[in-house]
Amino acid sequence: MADSGTLDAKIEALTDDDLARGLDLFRSKLGAAGAVWLQTCVHCGLCAESCHYFLTDHEPQSIPAHKLEQVAAAFRGRYTLAGRLAPALTGARPFDRQLVRAWVDAAFGRCSTCGRCSLNCTTGVNVPAVMRAARATLTEMGLIPADLQQVVTTALETGNNMGITREDWLDTVQWIEEETQGAVGDPAARIPVDRQGAQYLFTVNPREPKFFPLGLQASATVFHAAGADWTVASEGWDLTNYGLFSGNNAEGGAIARNLLGSMERLGCRTLVIGECGHGFAAARWESAEWLRQRPGFRIMSFLELMDDWFRQGRLKADPSRITDRVTLHDPCNTVRQGGISEPQRDILRRCVTDFVEMTPNRAENFCCGGGGGQLAMAQYRDKRLQAGGVKAEQIRATGARIVVAPCHNCIDQLMELNREYKLGVVIKTVAEIVADALVLPTATPPAEGNHDVAS
Amino acid sequence: MPNIAGPDGPVELDDKGYLKNVADWSPALAPLLAARDGVRDLTADHWAIINVLRDHHREHGVQPMIRELCRRTGFNLKRIYELFPKGPAQDACRVAGLPRPDSCV
Repeated sequence: MADSGTLDAKIEALTDDDLARGLDLFRSKLGAAGAVWLQTCVHCGLCAESCHYFLTDHEPQSIPAHKLEQVAAAFRGRYTLAGRLAPALTGARPFDRQLVRAWVDAAFGRCSTCGRCSLNCTTGVNVPAVMRAARATLTEMGLIPADLQQVVTTALETGNNMGITREDWLDTVQWIEEETQGAVGDPAARIPVDRQGAQYLFTVNPREPKFFPLGLQASATVFHAAGADWTVASEGWDLTNYGLFSGNNAEGGAIARNLLGSMERLGCRTLVIGECGHGFAAARWESAEWLRQRPGFRIMSFLELMDDWFRQGRLKADPSRITDRVTLHDPCNTVRQGGISEPQRDILRRCVTDFVEMTPNRAENFCCGGGGGQLAMAQYRDKRLQAGGVKAEQIRATGARIVVAPCHNCIDQLMELNREYKLGVVIKTVAEIVADALVLPTATPPAEGNHDVAS
Repeated sequence: MPNIAGPDGPVELDDKGYLKNVADWSPALAPLLAARDGVRDLTADHWAIINVLRDHHREHGVQPMIRELCRRTGFNLKRIYELFPKGPAQDACRVAGLPRPDSCV
């Protein structure tokens, strides 16, 4: 690919000064905990079989401990006494062009920052955090794959990562509102825009308005059925944040500020992150860190909200409508790193008759292979599809016809795996399943206003 | 790299089934691309979508919003997905010979 050619040329052009500064940069991004993690790997090898890259390519470079070691070797050579005095004995290596290439390969090319290795690590090394610090360093040195950076740049320049104009967004929202009203047979099924003081601000992945509006329609149907007081924003509506993948905290923070800005502008009480793993992790867990600022409102996943509504009796489903076997994919950033594992299961048990788990599942589930920005980096496409083989076989083993994935990013990868591995499945979001199973409120409500009452 | 037998000789595809070289597209090639995606017969409705996709891409350099696609063809969403079951971003763009949309994240 042209991009890897450009990257190679950039690495060739690095001066000794660039390299020295790069390593200092890395140290500044690592933090104290990170420095400890670089020293604590005991090379037990347990991580090897936890990683979907190693399980599919069996290359030593794909073993998480090996990826960690590329990064640790450079750190040790400069910042530890033993590494400076006896590099050969400690495995310390100079941060030269060859090692930079190994960093790019390890951090961008062979890691989806899914964190499964850390869960299986005897000494608790947070590999994704170290890989993110390495990515951050490479990004600042200009060595990030151009297409990954482009997603960040588009979001910074246009307010969403697909460059959708305000007119196109509003036009699409209005259109989906009409489609929803037609589908549920109720003109009260609205998608309010910029409703001041609404209880919930709902945010979406740009992929929905651009190509897959049925997901947005399903979400609108659910909000309508629950009688929720909600809104979308005319600006600051994109929940994605590729700053999580580039490692650039300043840019990640600037993108996060779009959502915080909408919340402040509209005075909403709860920020609801639609079905997107990395978007949830970035908004819920990382953005406060990047911005050094606690949000003054609640941030929750749409999964939690739908589950709450089912428990409160505000949503009712008829599971007999979905009798095909259904399985559930656990997005790394929602489940293992995001802490949301049960709401989606409670929801599915109410909405389908034949729900089977993948093995393993929940926090131990395998990455689809598309995480960590892999879907945006064309040069690693073959590797990504190969690494997705683990997920493909997990799906096949369930015998399911429908794969539910509460993450638009995972869904793109799963659609490709479906084709590549001839799985013959249908892939849906949780909201799409809920919308199909919903028992809607009567089509002629006593008063339109009922649907706008805050709960 | 997979190839398909086009009307004027083999045509190169990328590993997602999109044309490697957008200029290779011709109306005669479209049914062959469609067959790969399990779309057996290209009806006038399929062609309406293909033409809008190609026109919009020529005019703006990007794939249209699906809203625009519905508006210009007069089809509702349901009809679009009936015609191209895997959706406009995948099947339809492939058959219309458009480049793969930037990763949908």
